[in-house]
Amino acid sequence: MALCGGTVSSLREQIAARPAADAAVLPGALTAAVVALSLAAGLTALFARLGPVSATPAAVGWWLPLPAERRGLLRGELRRSVGLAVAAALTVGVPVVLAWTRTPAGVLAGLAAGALLAVIAVAVLVVRQAGGGGGWVPPVAGAVAAVAVVGPAVAGSVVARLDVVLPDAAGRAWSLPAPLASGVLAVLLGLAVLCLVLADRRLADLPAGALRASGETAQYATASVFSLDTRELGRALGTTVRRPRRPLAWRWVRHPWQAVVAGDLAVLARSPWRWGQLAVGAALPVLAARTEGLAGLPALVAVTVVLGWWLAATSLGEPSRRASAAPAADRGLPLGGAAVVWARAVVPAAVLAGVCGVSALLIGQGTGAPAAWLVLGVVTAPAWAGAAVRAGYRPDLDWSGPVLASPMGAVPVGVSSTLVRGPDVGLLGTAPVALALLLGAVPWWLVGAALLWSLALGALAVGTARPPD
Amino acid sequence: MVLLAAEQLSVGYGDAPVCAPVTVSVAPGTAVALVGPNGAGKSTVLQTMVGLLPPLAGTVRFAGGPVDERDAGFRRSVAGVLDDDAFFPSLTGAEHLLLTARAHGVADAEQVVAAELAAFGLTDRAGALPSALSSGQRRRLALAGALVRPADLLVLDEPERRLDTAMRRVLADRLAALVDAGGAVLFASHDPAFIGTLADLALVVGEDECPVVAPEDAVAALQEG
Repeated sequence: MALCGGTVSSLREQIAARPAADAAVLPGALTAAVVALSLAAGLTALFARLGPVSATPAAVGWWLPLPAERRGLLRGELRRSVGLAVAAALTVGVPVVLAWTRTPAGVLAGLAAGALLAVIAVAVLVVRQAGGGGGWVPPVAGAVAAVAVVGPAVAGSVVARLDVVLPDAAGRAWSLPAPLASGVLAVLLGLAVLCLVLADRRLADLPAGALRASGETAQYATASVFSLDTRELGRALGTTVRRPRRPLAWRWVRHPWQAVVAGDLAVLARSPWRWGQLAVGAALPVLAARTEGLAGLPALVAVTVVLGWWLAATSLGEPSRRASAAPAADRGLPLGGAAVVWARAVVPAAVLAGVCGVSALLIGQGTGAPAAWLVLGVVTAPAWAGAAVRAGYRPDLDWSGPVLASPMGAVPVGVSSTLVRGPDVGLLGTAPVALALLLGAVPWWLVGAALLWSLALGALAVGTARPPD
Repeated sequence: MVLLAAEQLSVGYGDAPVCAPVTVSVAPGTAVALVGPNGAGKSTVLQTMVGLLPPLAGTVRFAGGPVDERDAGFRRSVAGVLDDDAFFPSLTGAEHLLLTARAHGVADAEQVVAAELAAFGLTDRAGALPSALSSGQRRRLALAGALVRPADLLVLDEPERRLDTAMRRVLADRLAALVDAGGAVLFASHDPAFIGTLADLALVVGEDECPVVAPEDAVAALQEG
């Protein structure tokens, strides 16, 4: 007890003496804007995936063949999509607008501009949907979202390295003269009305096949949300794998476990969307660490570390999720059930070592000992790899047992323990990084402890993950 | 020597058996057909015999030991087509076969895969992802996946399903040759010609009893309806 008490007391003194972060160079308003841009791009991709106008298979079968104008049947769907987009824009826009301006007129103008931009975006997506093209929208939006997070994080790290002081843009740069602001709003309003009229006219051109496809996706996603199945939600909204240009030969595969690794690498290589997730996952905590106001709050930076690295781990958990949903392919390999699960941790561990290492290196910029930060990130990877596999192979919710009433309907009693299966291990594995953030430095004893802790958690997570019977 | 043996095996879901208890064995160099009307329990018997479902009662043994579907040795020895979507969805058909062959240490894997693709008429679609194949093509790819690798026992659930007449004949002849070479096949089927070509014995799956009969008797029973 004396030893523990002494250690805690020593840590408290070190935390209290933590040096001030001097690598926080990005204005908070800028970070708020890029995060909002990233969220807006993500929402645009979501709306494009869901139509934005859709019809249930039943509606396509019963209503669309009727000798009635299709535009009237689909107008309600358009109104619903526009309403949802405006609500999302206002929700995302409030913190951004407040970060840039505090005057009532400025806040109202900013929110109005956000809402009008949302209307324009939905209307343009409907026109694109009617034209039959636009498969490029989700990937482009995903790329915008990734660049919006990665770009400022990298730029902030470079600026901090060069010791350049950026001007504070908030408050001064955004104080547009009232006539100009009114003019911008008037133009946006005109564009929104024009786009809405155009979208309304093009409703008649929406093909039944496209309406059915987006309706099925929306139904699948909605059912997944209400059954609290995030894995099914990912499948509903996930992008399809594209046909590879060159077939793989895998001459290096000599053992059955290498076949699992080869298959998992192919999943990653053929899903550019996942590369973006990995980049965003690595950059998100760096962005927080470079932002004025946030960098001085190590607990908040630690939260972004967990969020970012969980995003990266989730993107690498896709093979485990697929194998859990359809285990028959793995049964064709001469490898035991437990060995398959262990082999499935190889790719996440290798890739996360790079993601977490680079991310930690940049987070620790300005606190000295970059090698220690890099190694601390690398040794955290086994825990997150275990989290990816544990989450992918988690059992389905048990709806046969007792249920609880909730605002979303009945939910099984064990829902929370099932849903946190995976992130729980990652969260625990990140504790040494959080401690390093609190200390403002990475002592080497912490790196050693983190390695043992992470290996133990990773082994526990993978060892207790089981393919479905 | 018996490869797979079921003794008074009761199969079903929950605690309700779907058919009478089954006693049957499959030896190397033999093919055993499971016949019976739709819903008789043929697929449930197959899945229980390969360890995908727990038996309600009785025993099932593979090479003298208990069946453990998660065991590497069992997976190396037994190839099955029981599921329509037993594919790695990010791999093309040819890649799926190649990875399976390499995992099983098949020599000249690329040539073997090319030969299987040709045998199942999939050469033109070798570069397509499973999701881009028709249901019949996916069925042929699944069968090719079971035959591209070595196995002591093949377990097939209605292998003739979604195959045209010519392909059914090709498959039956191929499996018969495999049995002649010492392999074993356990399969469920509704196709009298397929059963007649391939089976050495037939297990008639029924509600009251599950007798093992000569394949001619099973075919006659099928043709009588």
